[in-house]
Amino acid sequence: MKYAQLIRLLVARELTLRYKRSVIGIGWTLLNPLLTSFVLWIVFSYVFASRLPSGQQFAPFLLAGILMNTFFNQGLLGSANSIAGNGGILTKIYIPPQVFAVSSALAAMCNFFLGLVPLVLVVYISGQSMSLLFPLVFLLGFFMAIMVAGLGLCLSILFIRFDDTQNIVSVLLMTLLYFTPVFYPVSALNPSLQQIIRFNPLTSYLDVFRWAFSNNSVATFWDWLFIIITSLLSIFLGTYVFKKYWPRTVSLL
Amino acid sequence: MSNIVIEANNLNVAYRVLMNRTGSMKELFRDAVKGRVRILDYVALNNVTFSVEKGEVLAILGKNGAGKSTLLKVLAGVLPPNKGTIFVDGSIAPMIELGAGFNSEMTGAENVLFYSALMGRDTREVKKRIESIGNWAGVSDHMDFPLRTFSSGMVARLAFATATDTSADVILIDEILSVGDSEFQKKSKERMVSLINSGSAGVMVSHDMGAVKEIATRAIWLEAGHVKMIGNPTEVVAAYEAN
Repeated sequence: MKYAQLIRLLVARELTLRYKRSVIGIGWTLLNPLLTSFVLWIVFSYVFASRLPSGQQFAPFLLAGILMNTFFNQGLLGSANSIAGNGGILTKIYIPPQVFAVSSALAAMCNFFLGLVPLVLVVYISGQSMSLLFPLVFLLGFFMAIMVAGLGLCLSILFIRFDDTQNIVSVLLMTLLYFTPVFYPVSALNPSLQQIIRFNPLTSYLDVFRWAFSNNSVATFWDWLFIIITSLLSIFLGTYVFKKYWPRTVSLL
Repeated sequence: MSNIVIEANNLNVAYRVLMNRTGSMKELFRDAVKGRVRILDYVALNNVTFSVEKGEVLAILGKNGAGKSTLLKVLAGVLPPNKGTIFVDGSIAPMIELGAGFNSEMTGAENVLFYSALMGRDTREVKKRIESIGNWAGVSDHMDFPLRTFSSGMVARLAFATATDTSADVILIDEILSVGDSEFQKKSKERMVSLINSGSAGVMVSHDMGAVKEIATRAIWLEAGHVKMIGNPTEVVAAYEAN
């Protein structure tokens, strides 16, 4: 792969650059989801903790949700912005623009994997234990990166053409957060609402993640199938849309 | 096999410009409803045909907005033409506004590595060259400090040294024959000339008529996207200057 070296540099740059001027540096990657989860834990443990099936703990449930959600948001916005953000390079040197979108998705994946370290601690502190199947989480992260890169490529065209897409997307992402069982268990909802939540691919991602990591949820074969189909569909759609509209969009950079 | 390195056939590039482009979906929608969206096709290149053979250096002349930079971007593969075909044989070194991708928070050495990777070089090779690149640019003491601590002249010199560190088959130059102080200008011009001559072909955009006559073997004069004249540099420069 001709651009492998460049992708590696781009990922490393994205991971380190964000925290270059901060004191604890990349430590923020670990601390950020922990702090967010802590706040939500204080707020929601009174509401939802008792709704979890017995044997499942709220703290690792919540942190897993936050980590996955951060991965999705960061990766999607990162790859959607990456092409406009690197317009200065793309209008001077020929590099397939997809390289930047893929790098952003991979950087978000690396952040997600780093976040698994505090999750291990939380799992054991809350009295649970790791599942032996936890390496499956890396496979899951890979599928998520593919999905995020595909969606990001679609959005990147819109981001260049219309400045206000960014505002619309941030509202949509917030709405999506409420339609994803990040801080509540699906079982806490009424049956018709549960049906809607099940249509959200992120629900399957979360179920598989919590199940594979520490047996903190139930996942089925259909969840895996749904994950694979949505991620492949997304990357095919993303590359198709991008290829189609890019020649007309590049002059706007 | 013929000696043709670059072949451009009937190149057409038009930018579609929304006259009241505000970049906002809301306003675009409002204007579309009122029928006020005017789309203008701004033609940057119109039926440009030429070829460059092995060993040639082509200079592109023309006023601002004549389409010189657009043509260079099409050659670099950055901008796809709306019509026509472009063929470039071999690797391309695009030297268009040097220092693309430089980041002020990264160190000089990191920037050299990143910029080289963007130019398509093998980073394992570049790592060995970083020191000599820094030396040539005269910033070797600063290579481990963030780029924000560099003066703008130092940044320009480092960018030039990195961009010109290795050669390619086809070299595209946009007005960067000289950077820095007079001593560095002389040094960089020498390097540029030897670089152009080392590749199999070069294309340069320049307003420096002296340099064009000195370096180029052929010149092309663009006006409003059309090829107005093509031929011997001395003749084309004379016609262009008389205009």
